[in-house]
Formats: sequence, C-alpha cells, structure tokens
Amino acid sequence: MKVKKRLKTLIPTLRERERYIAFQIISENPISYIDLEKNLWDVMEEFLGEYGLSKTSLWLIKNLYDSKNQMGIVKCNHKSLTQVLACLGLISRLGESRVVFKILKISGTIKGLRVNLFKGKN
Amino acid sequence: MKFFDFHVHSAFSEGESSLEELVSMAKKLGYSGICFTAYPLRKKEENFLKVEIERVKKEFGVEILLGFEARNLRELKSLVRRRREFDVLLVRGGNLKLNRIACETPEVDILTHPEFGRQDPGLDYTSVKLAAKNNVAIEMNFREILVSTGRSRSLILKNIAHNLKLAKKYKAPIILCSGAITQWELRSPECLISMAVQLGLELREAKLAISKVPENIFKQIAERKSSDWILPGVKILK
Repeated sequence: MKVKKRLKTLIPTLRERERYIAFQIISENPISYIDLEKNLWDVMEEFLGEYGLSKTSLWLIKNLYDSKNQMGIVKCNHKSLTQVLACLGLISRLGESRVVFKILKISGTIKGLRVNLFKGKN
Repeated sequence: MKFFDFHVHSAFSEGESSLEELVSMAKKLGYSGICFTAYPLRKKEENFLKVEIERVKKEFGVEILLGFEARNLRELKSLVRRRREFDVLLVRGGNLKLNRIACETPEVDILTHPEFGRQDPGLDYTSVKLAAKNNVAIEMNFREILVSTGRSRSLILKNIAHNLKLAKKYKAPIILCSGAITQWELRSPECLISMAVQLGLELREAKLAISKVPENIFKQIAERKSSDWILPGVKILK
C-alpha cells in the first residue's frame, strides 16, 4: 500500500481557531530575524514554561518578516492570545539592542493582516 | 478608546530618558496621554519642569500631566498641603503603614506597586475598602514584572494578582501603568491589558483600567483646578 507523504488536513470542527498578531519592533539598532526568533521562544518558555508554551501553538512566520520596517506576524491559537501578547511585552532586549513591541493589528486570518500591513510586498 | 500611562519617570526623577524621548515613544505606541512622575523637587526645579512639560505638550500634541510620588509620610503630608499645584498625587507603596495611609487619604490618586520589595502583597481587605471609599487607584506596575526574573518574578506576579483580586472584590479602582524609567520600558497598551488579564482581570476590566480610570483622574484634576473646589468632597455650589 502506498503511504501518502502529507497528513490529511483536520476537519474544520477539530481545527484550532487561529489569531495572527502583526507587530512592529522599535529598537535602538536593526534587528535580525534570528535574534527575534531566538528571544521570542526564550521569553515565552521562561514565562509560560514548556507545557504552557505547547498550549499556545506559537509560530513566527518567517517569510512575512519585513526586516526593513521591522514588522512581522506571530501566529497562535485564540485561547492563548493574551498570553502571547503579555510575553511580547516582556521582551526588552533583542541581541544587544533594547526594544519595544508595538502591536499593529490582531486578526483571525492572515489575509486580513496582509491586506492592511504588507501591501505590495507579496 | 484612549489609553493613558500615569507612571513614567523622566530624567528629572531618577529616570534616564528626556521628556521628548518618552513622549515620542508613548505616541508611537498609541497613548493619548502620559503623566510624568517626579519625586518632590525644589521650587525652582519644579517650575522648570512645568515649563518643559508645557513646551513638549505643544510640540507633540499629547496630554501630559505632572505627578508627584511621595516616598514617605513627610513627603505625603507636604504634597497634600499643596495639592492644587500639580496634577496627580502618587504614593510609592511597599511600606505597610504608608500603603494604609495612602488608602485613607482622599487627595491621593494612585497607590503605586503596594507589593514593592515585599514578600506579602502589602494590602489587606480593610485598606482596599478604604481605597475604594476614597477613590485611590491601586496600580499594576509592569516594570516590576519586566525587570525581575525567576522566583522573584513569580512572587511579584502572585502578589499583584492578590491585590487585583481584592480590588475587584471591593470595587477599588485599578490602574495599569508601565512604571518606565526609560523610553525602552514603555509598553504597548495591548501588552499591559494582556498581562492584567493573565493576572486575573476580565478583558473589559483591564481595558477600563488603562482608559476609563485615568480619564476619571483627568476629571478630578479639572474639578480640583476649578475655583469652586475647596477640599475633597467640599465645593462651592452656585
């Protein structure tokens, strides 16, 4: 029997409801994606713990990170939205640079954010 | 919805950033107004700070208030005596006696971080009842959480959650502040609201704590500055 390479997608009633948070990083020096990703996961793990982090379904979307304007999108499930936002507030340094996260928009679909924030990029 | 941060220290009071840097960052983050908190200053310095605040206010078009934070009973008494000369009166919590007196004093607007440097929450239910009666807002200070780590952070979170629970129960006003001493410690209103939700407030209550409660303080300031006002609860009726 031939095994398919991809898993079947979940039926809609079993899928998680997602939230996409668009943010902008205000920083002293330019921030690389690698610094952002490492620090985001570290802070989340420190604050929520491994178990708490597993419940958030957190994902930083790499191909939508705009390094010029330092804007990006982080994905999580709808139940852990406030946890993720609180953790974004707890990030005070990325690499050597002090930073502040500005929350631009929160949406249930990635399309909504892309239409408003990343016009002309993709 | 308008957001306000009522506890920001500038270079005038142990802070590191200038007024311009702080206001510019607050504006970027979506705040409609901030309150520069200073420790009691000499008359000359105070007048200079007031002039600077007026200048920055015109330059950025943001509501800016001047607040004084009393660190002990002597400072609190002296600030209460000249209450009409500045906008917001804050009391630095952490001392049980001072926490209690702040809750008993109707001239006080905000009791900042009552759990500061303590193992316990610093407030009991009688103090919170008094705070509700005298309209003294209990602060949730984000900087305390931001600069601490590990066990001390978990203790602070526990104590803040306890104070918020009491304030909710006895309907004392709650206010969310960054407590920033540099512009890099200011936080987006959404982050403050979310942290308050994590510590036990409902989303609606958390939003009120960063918008409606500061607006009420604005109203009190306007009332206090009117010529009819004499004392808290006493004014001339025409």
